[in-house]
Amino acid sequence: MVGWEFPPHHTGGLGVHSFELCRELARLGHRITFLTPFSGPFSAVPGLRFRFPGERSEAPGAQFPPAYWAGSTPDSPFVDSIDGYNVWLGGLADPGPVDVVHVHDWFGTLGGAELSRRLARPLVMTVHSTEYDRSLGHPWEHLRRREQAGIDAAVRVIAVSRHLRQQLIDRYSADPSKVRVIYNAVRPSERLEQIDPTKRIVLYVGRLAAMKGVDTFLRAAAKVRPDFPDVLFVIAGEGPEYPRLVRMAAELGVGDRAMFLGHVSDEERETLLSGASVFVLPSVVEPFGIAALEAMAAGVPTIVSKTSGVAEISSGTFRVDFWDVDEFASRIAELLEYPTLRRTMGEEGRWEALREGWPERARETVAVYLEAMRATGVPI
Amino acid sequence: MDRLLRGLEEHPEFRLSLSVTGTFLEQARLAAPDVIDRLKALHRTGRVALLAETYYHSLAFLVPPPELAEEVALHRAALRTEFGAEPTVLRITELAYSDDLARFAESQRFRGMLAEGWEGVLKGEPPTYRYCAASAPTVRLLLRHYPLSDDVGFRFSSIGWSEYPLTADKYARWIAATPGEFVGLFMDFETFGEHHPARTGILEFLSALPGEFRRHGGLEWATVEEAVDGPPRAPLGVPYTMSWADQNRDLGAWLGNDLQRSAFEAAKKVGVLARQANDAAILSDWRRLLTSDHFYYMYVSGHGADQGVHQYFSSYESPYDAYANYMNAMTDLRRRALDRLGVPTLK
Repeated sequence: MVGWEFPPHHTGGLGVHSFELCRELARLGHRITFLTPFSGPFSAVPGLRFRFPGERSEAPGAQFPPAYWAGSTPDSPFVDSIDGYNVWLGGLADPGPVDVVHVHDWFGTLGGAELSRRLARPLVMTVHSTEYDRSLGHPWEHLRRREQAGIDAAVRVIAVSRHLRQQLIDRYSADPSKVRVIYNAVRPSERLEQIDPTKRIVLYVGRLAAMKGVDTFLRAAAKVRPDFPDVLFVIAGEGPEYPRLVRMAAELGVGDRAMFLGHVSDEERETLLSGASVFVLPSVVEPFGIAALEAMAAGVPTIVSKTSGVAEISSGTFRVDFWDVDEFASRIAELLEYPTLRRTMGEEGRWEALREGWPERARETVAVYLEAMRATGVPI
Repeated sequence: MDRLLRGLEEHPEFRLSLSVTGTFLEQARLAAPDVIDRLKALHRTGRVALLAETYYHSLAFLVPPPELAEEVALHRAALRTEFGAEPTVLRITELAYSDDLARFAESQRFRGMLAEGWEGVLKGEPPTYRYCAASAPTVRLLLRHYPLSDDVGFRFSSIGWSEYPLTADKYARWIAATPGEFVGLFMDFETFGEHHPARTGILEFLSALPGEFRRHGGLEWATVEEAVDGPPRAPLGVPYTMSWADQNRDLGAWLGNDLQRSAFEAAKKVGVLARQANDAAILSDWRRLLTSDHFYYMYVSGHGADQGVHQYFSSYESPYDAYANYMNAMTDLRRRALDRLGVPTLK
């Protein structure tokens, strides 16, 4: 598996996805070699072996940053590092017996495709988001090309939502017959009881990036604020938008009630969820939106933007157009105002989020591997 | 309705009964006055009976008196004004029926009521006879024959149904072969052309029925007003409220979950204020919010066979939307009532 980040050091959903998927695949009896540009340490998973450039002292191995390099530009050393990673992937020594090469997103598409050719094994690619999404429609061509290369070379492509699948067909001319949809999943949260039932928190958890629509969250907060003097609007996460959002909160007059927590650990996130009254995912673009699924699993009534992938598999949420600040504000106010609505939606959301989990997703993924192997004549 | 009128013109023995709410008449007046003209033409034949019910198709029977009596009286007045009709047979919203409701019907001098022909209360007795209410023996009960009614109402266009396609001839044969005095065929008006769209042949089926009934000897049509005349077979006791909905034939479709119960509790509380406010607009808006459909839209099951049926009828994306919208409207109405009463509101 050609990956990127892996827990415990991860900043986005891809690391969690890789961890959960590998763990379930290993439980099903598959052996996985996880290729990553980072040198670890990695959360141990039985049946999973990690390889990275520079793993042996004799290999040259490029130097890689210890964490996701989100602020890179075409001028930064980032591209060189990525190229180094891909060269290493393509020329991977002693790959051992391999049935399928599975690459996630754009990071290792070139090297992954080369490795797949060299080993005469099918390439499967999972797309978690596209460069169009991350750049809000102004893709950095360098990354877009890498995505295109992966999609073209892959025998099967997995998209994390129907919405994303359509985008791959429309914008990357992906052959519809080879694109499958496999949703993300979550594990049940252990903390369900409220920390303090009198505290009222409207929560956002996620990166502070333009595509996440945190502006909408703040604008809605400003509308809700006068009617609910006991409510805090909590924003957990970090990202390039942070300074602008803090200024905006002050300008909107919600500076005293909007709390920016910065990065939170998994444990802190669970604690926040167990105390939250409402969770809001106002993303402009959201190929899946696992944060919303986590909130649902914790029994928190959730409002998501209609375009998010998670909206496709949840009927126990409020689904709102990402630009509709008034509607977000109404939904937040309704959930704060009506306890029965809060409880009923919380229960239904929990059921929806947990009725299928990573074991089901891993089995669906294996089915795609088998399809890819059959399509390329690899003996099963 | 034109087909029904033609059927009545061509077949002097053809008869039927219609249930028309006050809110429907209001909407028809606004949007399609010709519908009322057609209803009048049907009623003028003398072979179309109109049923009494609540003006607002409401859950008035679940709030304290005199709400139910007032809504039934409003509806009676509307039928009198619009059609000159004086119905003596009552049906309560969604075919709700209980011993208490029969006592209510008796107190309002109704001769009969409609109810579901449900095995749970018939206990082996056939639904095809006239019964009387155990709690109010002067009230005759006409029971819905739900298998034969649902053959048309639910199954007519189901290609997977073993009897598909259902022809008027086959249907008349089934009814002729059913033992008893009468078969209560009660169904939604939307069965004809909406639940089953015109392309399924439902309208032709409807048109062909009177002719086929005539071909099969021994079949006669009767309105509810005619069917209540005669001695009852036995008294029937129904100690709880029965309806015609879903698998359980109870009120679960309207008050089965927390959302619905919470909304209804809110409605009851605001109802007290709405009466005190002594303002016709506030009271009629409150009564509109008592219409059973609002609660039906809040049905959540997700896991049962009835969810599909509920989703089909709902104009909301989800039961949560329905609830939130309802509660907003109720909160607004509460403020209006309090303003009228001169009570300052918090916030």
